Amino acid sequence: MDILLTGVYVVFFPGFFTVVIIGLLSSWVDRKVTARVQYRKGPPLLQPFYDVVKLLGKETILPKQGSRFMFILAPLIGFVSISIVAVILMLRPLVATSFVGDLIVVVYLLTLPSLALIIGGAASGNPLAAQGASREIKLILAYELPFLIAIALIVYKAGFKIDLQTLSATSELGTVSGIISFIIVLLCVQAKLGFVPFDIAEAETEIMSGPYIEYSGPLLSVFKITQSLMLFTLPVFMITVFWGGIQFHGWELLWFVIKYVVILVLIIVIKNTNPRVRIDQALKFFWGFCTVLAIIAFVLAVIGNTYGIAWL
Amino acid sequence: MKLDVLILLLNIFLPFAVAVLLLLIPKKVRWLHELLTLLTTLFCVAAALRFLLFASQAKFTMLLFSIGNFELAFDIGLNSLNTFMLLFATGFAFLIAMYSLKYMAAKEKRKQYYVFLLTTLGGASGVLVSNHLLVLLIFWEVVSVSLYFLITTGGKGSRAGATKTMAMIGAADGCLLLGIGFLWYLSQLLYLDAITITINNWLSILCFILMMIGAITKAGAMPFHSWIPKASEKAPASVMALLPASIDKLIGIYLLFILCTKIFVLPQGLLLTLMIIGVITIVAAVMMALVQHKLPHLLSYHAISQVGYMVLGIGTGVPLGIAGGLFHMLNHSIYKSCLFLCAGAVEHKTGTVELEKLGGLSKTMPVTFITCLIAALSISGVPLFNGFVSKWMIYQGMLSGQNAYLLIFLIAAMFGSALTLASFIKVIYSVFLGRTSTVTKKVKKDVGITMQIPMLVLALLCVLFGVWYSLPLNEFIYPATQTTPVPIGSWDSILAIILSGGGLIIGLFIYMAGRIKKKARVGETFIGGEVLKAEDIRVPGTEFYNSIQSMKPFKGIYNIQNKGALDPYNWFGRLGLAFSSILKKIHNGILPFYVFWTLLGMGVLILLFIL
Repeated sequence: MDILLTGVYVVFFPGFFTVVIIGLLSSWVDRKVTARVQYRKGPPLLQPFYDVVKLLGKETILPKQGSRFMFILAPLIGFVSISIVAVILMLRPLVATSFVGDLIVVVYLLTLPSLALIIGGAASGNPLAAQGASREIKLILAYELPFLIAIALIVYKAGFKIDLQTLSATSELGTVSGIISFIIVLLCVQAKLGFVPFDIAEAETEIMSGPYIEYSGPLLSVFKITQSLMLFTLPVFMITVFWGGIQFHGWELLWFVIKYVVILVLIIVIKNTNPRVRIDQALKFFWGFCTVLAIIAFVLAVIGNTYGIAWL
Repeated sequence: MKLDVLILLLNIFLPFAVAVLLLLIPKKVRWLHELLTLLTTLFCVAAALRFLLFASQAKFTMLLFSIGNFELAFDIGLNSLNTFMLLFATGFAFLIAMYSLKYMAAKEKRKQYYVFLLTTLGGASGVLVSNHLLVLLIFWEVVSVSLYFLITTGGKGSRAGATKTMAMIGAADGCLLLGIGFLWYLSQLLYLDAITITINNWLSILCFILMMIGAITKAGAMPFHSWIPKASEKAPASVMALLPASIDKLIGIYLLFILCTKIFVLPQGLLLTLMIIGVITIVAAVMMALVQHKLPHLLSYHAISQVGYMVLGIGTGVPLGIAGGLFHMLNHSIYKSCLFLCAGAVEHKTGTVELEKLGGLSKTMPVTFITCLIAALSISGVPLFNGFVSKWMIYQGMLSGQNAYLLIFLIAAMFGSALTLASFIKVIYSVFLGRTSTVTKKVKKDVGITMQIPMLVLALLCVLFGVWYSLPLNEFIYPATQTTPVPIGSWDSILAIILSGGGLIIGLFIYMAGRIKKKARVGETFIGGEVLKAEDIRVPGTEFYNSIQSMKPFKGIYNIQNKGALDPYNWFGRLGLAFSSILKKIHNGILPFYVFWTLLGMGVLILLFIL
């Protein structure tokens, strides 16, 4: 594959710009469904785009305290890292071998947007942002444990392979352990997205968006774009790892869209039917219930593999 | 005698000679101490660089004496393994000597500091190049003793930490000696390049475990870790950066590597033991680090936790994992000494290491902040920094074992990495970000250039080894392990940096597009419209993990740990006390009692003679 073509893939289709557009459209879906659940009309289709453009025209206010350099750099770090994940996942079907990195790289990169949010909040010198940053990092610790166990199960089922090509070739949803870990990863994704019931770090009614509180104008729009990128990339990650991956030809593409919409709707439904939990409840939920469930799934998979029971 | 051999001998003995010379030079001639130390360390770096560039295989043997088939020979030699380690050991010594110019300038025990810095360097070089185990042990002891004296340069109260360090390392060195004794009994050989022992009976297992204790205590793995936090309390930060962070790791893991790959052929069970030690060390130490309130304490718990990855990597027993373990040792020495140097810089400027009293230093100490941030990201294993690459290799080493229980270790190690990240967010927030405190308000500018250069060099190495990781792997690690393992996964860091460069440009473009019309305004922070005093708005980073600390199972464990119940130093201390209390009871000062004992003893003796 020559460099020019790869460049086009990375920047336009199916890479960066496509992902941004789909991401913003997904956030419209999110807002529309949420509005319908709450008996509101909801925004028009292009509202997320209007929001970004409008934010670009707004004034940038930098905080007097804290580190201005990190305050500006942080949103960019998050934006870059999630873009790389998006490109890795979207370009996978088009390249024969692995592109940029493997599963471990992706798992590590997926924590970076949260890290960027924490550093940005901490750099603002605002006590509420610091409070939010502290909650966000604890939330990372909470969901990372069951998340890693569920990912380890996938690695086990794939025969200790970590390249995304091998992992995307099979669907794990035909087995009990696969379904359980899928549900766990879905809950972790909810937390990674910072959606209710795990929007503890932002908690608008309590600490006024936490780490985002000092952000305004273009920097806030970078964060908004990052969020919508995550709203697309994380379900794609789930599809790649659990649900047979993406293919860009014929009916496969439609099949992928259906899978994506299913996961998106699940996320939105969870978001709209639950109240926000406290951080200690989230810790208990992830380290207790989810971890135990993930371990059970793992044990089931090992039993199934050892005794040749396919449906486990 | 060839030139290389001469240089090699000088590399070991010049530091000792200069150390003796420094003792003779009066304390007032400060510049001469500093100059001689700098020149000596610089010479050693140059020598090591020369060995590396010319792939020198210099050897030197001098038989000291022999009884029967026991030979004590001063046998040193270079190979692809110790050459690169020598370069880094000397390199760290040079950087830290440079850092010390300013850092130690006002300290009272400066002379003692420079003398033992040099003996450490000589001892470490000796350990790395000796081919005879007893010679290795002698140099090993030199490093241990130098550490004691270096810690005591911290002034008042540093002796307690030094004593604990000496007691634990001394005991471990005793184990090492005993292990070497068994090795002699088993193989009748003491030359490193000649011994190969297949572990098949209990004696060889005991021998391996004793020697392993010597190695991992030096490196600081659990359960023999507790000297590092104690020593860090009062020791100068540069001492922590030199020994527990870098040179002790280098020589400890060097010995472990030799034990596991050259001297012994390990069965699966012992490899598993090593891996369990590694995983427990990673998770337990990082959980401790999470709740520390003092910067050196926190860093030293990480120095322990990271050893876990190295032990884990070597314990996998597959080439990829072993290479990853060695690479992690190298990377850890780089970023951890950088972190300790940053902590030293902060302490130098503010006079405190309490995280609660610090904050908001990123504006006044930008260089320290950036280097500390890079080192923190490296230790947390963020991609594009060096810590990620070696961890990634270790994970793959575990995966190539193709066993379900290895995945448990993998989960624990990766979760340990997340905990490390959490703990360093606390550091970065409490020291550099957030709001200024009464202490940090007084800081006007960053530390001097001689303190900045070592930190910058180390931070640069973190990025270089992270992005262009094939360089250290192909130049240092793979020649040393004599394998070129093929990774299971893929990590194209060059492509990733191009992509992130592109992403950064797009991001900056979005940001700048919004700023074309209006300039950015600087405003006060918004706290829901409330007007609060500056002191009330500070959120200390030390409170970040209170909700984890007060969670049910952890609360109990932390309480037990705080009482010191998990520290082998205390176990043996208590054992010693119990033993001496029995002796104390016998000595009750009553004369007839002593007479009775004497008579009883005589009676026993007479009885023995009669029989």
